[in-house]
Amino acid sequence: MNNIVLIILILLAGGVLSFLLNQIKPLLSGVTAFVATVAAAVLFFTGTGTADNFDFVLGGMHLSMGINGYSWIFGALILGFSSLVLLYSISYMKGRDRLGYFYLNFMLSIMAMMGIIFSRDFISLFIFWEIMTWSSFLIVVYQGLSEGRVGIKYMIFSAVGGYSMLLAIVFMKAQMGTVLISDLVSHFSGFAIQQQTMVGILLLITFGVKAAVMPLHVWAPRAYSDSPMSYTSVFSGLLSKMGIFGMGIVLISVFANSSTFGTNTFYISNVLAWLGAITGVMATFYAVIQTDAKKLLAYSSIGQLGYIVMGLAVGTKLSVMAALFLAVVHTIFKGTLFLVVGAVERQTGTTDMTKLGALIRKMPWTFLAALISIIALAGIPPLAGFVGKWMFYESLIVSDHYFLVIMAFLSSTAAFLYCYRFLFGIFLGQEEKEFENVKEAPATMVIPMVLMAALLFVFGVFPGLLFDPIAKGMEVLGMGTVDWSMTVLSNGWGDHVDTMSIISAIGTIFILAFIYLALWNRKRTRYVTTKDIHTSGEIPTENENLTYAVDFYKPFERAIEPVMKRTMDFYYNHLGEGLESFFNFLRRFYTGNGQTYALYVIVFLVILILFSKQIFL
Amino acid sequence: MVISPVHYIALPLLAAFLMPLLAKVNRELVRIIPGVVLTYLLFVSVVLMQRVTETGQPIIETLAGWQAPWGINLVFSQFTGFLVSLMVFMATLIWIFSYRFKKVDNEPALKYYILFMMLVTGSVGVVLTGDIFNMFVFMEITAIASYSLTSFYRDRDGAEAGFKYLLIGSLASTFMLLAILLLYTQVGTLNMAMIAERMHTVPVGMKVTILILFLTGLGIEAEMFPLNGWAPDAYSQAPSPVGATFAALVVKAGVYSLIRVIFTLFDIQGAYQYLIIMGIITLIIAEFAAMKQTNLKRMLAYSSIGQMGFVLIAFGIGTKEAVFGALFLMFNHAIIKSLLFMSGSFFVYNSTSKDIKGLSGIGKKFPYMGFLFSIGAFAIVGLPPFSGFWSKLYILIAAADESMLALVAIILLVSIVEIVYYFRVVAKLYFGKPTDKEVVHKPTFGGYFSMTVLAVVILLVGFYPDIITGFIHRAADTLLDKGAYISNVLSVGH
Repeated sequence: MNNIVLIILILLAGGVLSFLLNQIKPLLSGVTAFVATVAAAVLFFTGTGTADNFDFVLGGMHLSMGINGYSWIFGALILGFSSLVLLYSISYMKGRDRLGYFYLNFMLSIMAMMGIIFSRDFISLFIFWEIMTWSSFLIVVYQGLSEGRVGIKYMIFSAVGGYSMLLAIVFMKAQMGTVLISDLVSHFSGFAIQQQTMVGILLLITFGVKAAVMPLHVWAPRAYSDSPMSYTSVFSGLLSKMGIFGMGIVLISVFANSSTFGTNTFYISNVLAWLGAITGVMATFYAVIQTDAKKLLAYSSIGQLGYIVMGLAVGTKLSVMAALFLAVVHTIFKGTLFLVVGAVERQTGTTDMTKLGALIRKMPWTFLAALISIIALAGIPPLAGFVGKWMFYESLIVSDHYFLVIMAFLSSTAAFLYCYRFLFGIFLGQEEKEFENVKEAPATMVIPMVLMAALLFVFGVFPGLLFDPIAKGMEVLGMGTVDWSMTVLSNGWGDHVDTMSIISAIGTIFILAFIYLALWNRKRTRYVTTKDIHTSGEIPTENENLTYAVDFYKPFERAIEPVMKRTMDFYYNHLGEGLESFFNFLRRFYTGNGQTYALYVIVFLVILILFSKQIFL
Repeated sequence: MVISPVHYIALPLLAAFLMPLLAKVNRELVRIIPGVVLTYLLFVSVVLMQRVTETGQPIIETLAGWQAPWGINLVFSQFTGFLVSLMVFMATLIWIFSYRFKKVDNEPALKYYILFMMLVTGSVGVVLTGDIFNMFVFMEITAIASYSLTSFYRDRDGAEAGFKYLLIGSLASTFMLLAILLLYTQVGTLNMAMIAERMHTVPVGMKVTILILFLTGLGIEAEMFPLNGWAPDAYSQAPSPVGATFAALVVKAGVYSLIRVIFTLFDIQGAYQYLIIMGIITLIIAEFAAMKQTNLKRMLAYSSIGQMGFVLIAFGIGTKEAVFGALFLMFNHAIIKSLLFMSGSFFVYNSTSKDIKGLSGIGKKFPYMGFLFSIGAFAIVGLPPFSGFWSKLYILIAAADESMLALVAIILLVSIVEIVYYFRVVAKLYFGKPTDKEVVHKPTFGGYFSMTVLAVVILLVGFYPDIITGFIHRAADTLLDKGAYISNVLSVGH
């Protein structure tokens, strides 16, 4: 049997099976989901290649599924990452209600994402896209927060996105007679400029909603933070990447054939690059002022996706490579961070950074994973985030997008603020009484987190491991061959950075420091507690608070206040209210009075007869 | 006994008349007989559909040996056959659903089943008949049964809803009768094939006037705006199986007659644009009104009206693909809306109020019902991989082929509204805080069975639409081939 079909079926069957097994024993549900995903992953990594095609006719339309270098990157990411997350999920979700429901939808999302990357035509893409949407909706409302309002908002935006795609699809079908993605690429130059703009914008809206690009992002913060954390890591790590996946195809393959391409890029790309930049800055600002770790990460995730979108929209070889590299790395580190928050939530019962503190001693492994991910997020060598950032800045400078560089710089600097707050608020600071008995998360939760953290390290030292598939993928998108090397980054003006030398330098420093502290200085070191200090000559009492976590960045908040005054949410809510009252007005038509209804009938008949010539002839 | 289309009309009518007598013999017979009749009709449908598919020719049955144009004839073509089979299938499921309806009280049950059988007779007859006056008669049978079923519960609301329906419905029959009279004076026949043949002889002004009378009269039955004031009340006040019956049978008969008149009887191009425009208005206003409903059944009723608007739009586009999409949507609407009415009414039955608010968390008590309702909701808004998606897709493609992109955009925008109000209910069902009402009524086995069958059909067609598209394609071709209809009907006996 065809491997592509088999993967989809395994995932689907895994979902249904875990739904059914939940009736027998809840634990089986999670295990089944994990096993099915691993099975699909094994099949994907060992036996699936470009030769696996699946063409079929459904409902009178020729549809096609297959895999190429570009979709392989995302497929590998989806199956690899979700296998780890599902392992984590077994312990994380233990003891919750309706696990069968949860895992069914979880597996459906994974299946839908695999379907999306396998799709070679827009109809199957749309089908899987919508399955992804509603299955994730069902998980967003799973915890029953805010009476489903967050879920509805998510669904509205997704529907706007999905239906934009549907509009584009029916337009394509009418114009070209087929719905194959490759046919859109080849026919695109034949469209009039208005049609190109329309199709382009419609498809970008679809993918922009999932990637949470301004101004389509308002659903994301709450939807991310309201889902169970093991799903949020998939939500932010993978579902949003489906938006990136689609954007890559549209912005690079399709727009390469647009009429104005040539000397300068299609203007939509520039608009999108700027939207990405604004998203990056604004979301980072919001992340800084959050007190809840989940929301902090949610905003941070939106901001990071803004970068990636920017990179894709700029559209040079280097920027696309940087964007795809960041996309993969972002999944890993942001996914890990969400898992970390999930572990903290499970062990302590809260994710409020003003309450938490000093978990470093209680949950050292979780801290380690968080630390490495945060370093990667901040883009500090030797971790993978650095490589992405380096290429990203360079690509913007080389392609003369200086204002975008400023925007990117602004947001990545501000990002340090929340990075620090995250680490400090949860893991450092003063020990709190109520968290005295907190234990480290179970091994099945720690192992995936640490594994992913290790992966960040590997990709930081050998970025070529990722460059290889990405370069192949970009070739498929039509960017030609892309040069890369395993461990050396170079820039346009001749500088080279060897990640190996960075890692050896840092490694040497660490080893020296360790030797100094552990061996030479051993006699003078002693174990200190938080209160083992003197302030102005006084010994602090046990209940005195020496660290602060409330109003952490008050001056910064004051500084950015003017920009934050009106959120996008505000305008959408007003629009919603306006529409509601309009609906209410229209509803008045149905008065509930039989005589009025009879009157309508008569009036309608009279109107028809009076204007019969205009209407019917 | 030779299987013939006549059975569709004779048997349910006979059953309706015999039931009061048989009830005296054994009270259980009242419940069994409709099922026997409907199951037999289902069998008839299978046999006849097979026959028309094989021969490609319609089966034309003249009553009492009188040939067209004098006698009354029944036309079982691939188009009417499809609709009739759908109706019988749905009626059977609704019978299973309501088998234990009013279990304790036999006297209302008898009434219910008699009216139900009359309703089946009427709506099936409307579709099968080839005679315009006969269509009117069947329409009246349907309408009278519907009025009584609407006010089945003898409370204030039920009576009010029934009265409204009666008021508007009587206007409908007046206009239709007037139209038929005028038509008869012009063409001198009541046989629809013959009318279609002679239509070109009618003066234009007269033709348009007759058409307008038809459109108004039939528009009422097809729930077209602004003639549909009766519908929300009727749907929400009628007993729960009846809501499903309205969606699956009565409205379908109304839409069928409207389409038959426009597509076969008349040849006025403006009528198609009229359908599109009225369809859009119906769709928009109904969906917006549904958005603001607090009562679940009323919400479903408005949604049903909106779907009919969508069907009218698709018929108005008038191309083969569009008609195909419209028929597909009629099929989907019948199964999906019935599922929603069945599961929805069950929730309402178990909650403290009829309001959506009262449904909070009820899906936790009845996970399977919640699951079924969710499938229905997902399907009706057209999410893949459920059946509703395909009909929507085909209609949109057909619209785009005619370069009506603005129309596509409007439909999609309205669909977003639809998503909002359905998903609000789904989210509330599952994740609202449960109310602490303890008394629960478990659905009967029949209820489970028919709802499961509907859900399976929705999923099956959603995953593999080709199992049904062949029938619908042939039905659409048959409807559009006016010449073949005329020649087939008139050639019988010549």
